Amino acid sequence: MYKIKLQQFEGPLDLLLFFIKRDELNIYDIPISRITKEFMEYLNLMKMLDLEVAGDFILMATTLMQIKVRMLLPREVNEKGEEIDPRADLIKALLEYKRYKEMSEEFLIMEANQRRVFNRGNFEADYKEAPPEYDVLLKNISIYDLLKAFKKVLVEKPKPVVHEIKKIPVTIEQQIDFILSLFEGREEVPFLMIVQDMEEKIKIIITFIALLELVKMNKIGLKESEVFNDFVIYRVEDGQNL
Amino acid sequence: MDKIYNSVIEALIFASDDPITASEIAIAIKNIDGDDIIISPDEVENCINELNQRYEELDLPFSISKIAGGFAYSTKPQYAKYVGYLSTEKSKRRLSQAALETLAIIAYKQPITKPEIESIRGVNSDYIINMLLEKNLVTISGRAETIGRPLLYATTDEFLKYFGLYKITDLPKPREIEEIMNDQDFIEQRQKIMMNLIEDDLAKGTNTEEDENNESEIE
Repeated sequence: MYKIKLQQFEGPLDLLLFFIKRDELNIYDIPISRITKEFMEYLNLMKMLDLEVAGDFILMATTLMQIKVRMLLPREVNEKGEEIDPRADLIKALLEYKRYKEMSEEFLIMEANQRRVFNRGNFEADYKEAPPEYDVLLKNISIYDLLKAFKKVLVEKPKPVVHEIKKIPVTIEQQIDFILSLFEGREEVPFLMIVQDMEEKIKIIITFIALLELVKMNKIGLKESEVFNDFVIYRVEDGQNL
Repeated sequence: MDKIYNSVIEALIFASDDPITASEIAIAIKNIDGDDIIISPDEVENCINELNQRYEELDLPFSISKIAGGFAYSTKPQYAKYVGYLSTEKSKRRLSQAALETLAIIAYKQPITKPEIESIRGVNSDYIINMLLEKNLVTISGRAETIGRPLLYATTDEFLKYFGLYKITDLPKPREIEEIMNDQDFIEQRQKIMMNLIEDDLAKGTNTEEDENNESEIE
């Protein structure tokens, strides 16, 4: 029986920091090809042990190889004419991560200290027997709690979906008559006035088709309105029709 | 401030389930004794220092600590073993490395979005963030005004309580870290704490192999 001890890493950055610390490498001058090799060996080991290799590790592997390739090519230069180190972004990410990893050790100590301190009110027996009042209930509620409760309600009660289909009695012929009736006593009608009282979308569509029909029949004409986003409908005289 | 209020403040803190703030104390006193009795936060703090001094002289097993923006009675660490035996609250598991790491990032960079957290950690952090929300150590504080309006995360009062902090600005400054890490006292204190952690685990009957692992991780 082999006993393999595989240290748990929080992610690819954690693993890289481990290599850097173990081999006492300079974080500002990482030997990329060496570290890439180590990284790939670790990934292979994970595969051999049938551990699921997270996508984050694979992403880091490709990043490392990309950096490795770029190290071989002539360096790119920035606006100031300075050479750009292909490792710069990686080093920045490593330092940033290292900073918070170190802070987390600080947190571990605070946690350990606080675990040895007991505040009054910690014991189950301290809880009030009386039914909780509303302000007590609401005391530590955040928007997240509300969201959770809301989600729970939504999940637990799937309401049967009912679609209501309403038949709107409207025909193109009716709308043609309606449009023509508007011309009684006037020569021009703005389009918005025709549709302003219509609530149903389908009625507006039918009315528009009726308008197009009338234009085709040469009974009305359309022209641009002075009002933005509107147009004016005018009656074509019968005489012109002939 | 009249001396009688030392005892009033002591009673208020003693009777409070959660850490009570200086302003809650001032309001309680004002509403009972009238508007002309104004107790400033400084006066409350002085009073608490005096009380703690007295407890110290009497060698009492508890003191008033400043925690999560308020004041609460708490037992001294040397009695943790016994008090802990009765309490269910703290026998819960400790936070994992991933959780501590994520909390550190949120604590120092709050309010912060999930993509920002993930770009620092280099790993997907869905699960950890949900767990921290579940434990009420972080909360959603709003949405960023950037593309997609991602949610912003921040720490809670529960977080302050968990780590024994009075206010968020009491967190150690990140740039001090190099100094702290090299400080001999700190190294000693850390070793002591690690030993305590291992003792805790032993007391709970976890197997020794795990303790070996803990030890090796500390090195």
